[in-house]
Amino acid sequence: MFKDLNPILHSQLRLAVVSILISVREAEFTYLREKTNATAGNLSVQINKLKEAGYIDVAKQFKDNYPQTICKITPLGIEAFEEYVKDLQSYLDIKK
Amino acid sequence: MPVMMEKEKELSQQESLQLIATMIAKAKDDYQDTGVSALFWGVIITFCSVVTFFNYYWGWRGLDYIWFLCIIAVIPQILISRRERKNKKYRGYHDDMVGGVWISYAIAVFMLSYITNVYRIEQANSLYLVLYGIPTFATGYGKRYPPMIIGAIACWVFAILSLYTPYPYFILYNGAGAVLAWFIPGLLLRNSYLKAKKQYV
Repeated sequence: MFKDLNPILHSQLRLAVVSILISVREAEFTYLREKTNATAGNLSVQINKLKEAGYIDVAKQFKDNYPQTICKITPLGIEAFEEYVKDLQSYLDIKK
Repeated sequence: MPVMMEKEKELSQQESLQLIATMIAKAKDDYQDTGVSALFWGVIITFCSVVTFFNYYWGWRGLDYIWFLCIIAVIPQILISRRERKNKKYRGYHDDMVGGVWISYAIAVFMLSYITNVYRIEQANSLYLVLYGIPTFATGYGKRYPPMIIGAIACWVFAILSLYTPYPYFILYNGAGAVLAWFIPGLLLRNSYLKAKKQYV
């Protein structure tokens, strides 16, 4: 029997965000928006969900007088992502 | 999987894996060096080496100071680095480490040129080539980038050969080292950077 997939990560946009953040140390909000082609509003909502789950850290700062939002995956986020990938793999193995 | 994503849709397991792979590939392509700094220093060092070599025959006193070009070139390098940092919307895991390696290399090169001038060491070419290889190898090894590893090893081979080659010919090893360690890898990096950029625009 396979485990249920983590509902926080099993969402198109949230999974895309976490996949990007796992590949870099930190990324600006605009970078995530560019890579996912999501609207700022939707991305913002999904980022908040990830933040509430403790999977990412969000820091707001100023760069050249412009507000900047920096997102970074947390150790809990890394653990959840690894677990999610493992669950996906086991599911696909069973299906083969 | 097409990019993305306004309406949430139910993902199948296959689609999830594909999405993860696509996003990681996108970030990885972005993570590439622009190649500008490597190209820049490849050109500067090669130019200085070739001019020094020919100046043995020309004998123009002014060209004895051609290597001061490297000190002047630090200014555009700072501007290039600042601009790249400003335009970069993410930070990779190795950015600080690689930056630290190259800053320490720059300091070591200037210290070496000071020391070799104070002690009037004539055959310092090998020492420079040994030094060229260190950050190049570290970067190539850390980023798993074979052209830089090959370039670094070439610098070390040239460092040995340089000991057994008479002046002014050993100066050419310096230029060859810069071509193999920086210019060619810089060119390759630039090509793949532009290709990746085009792909995701």
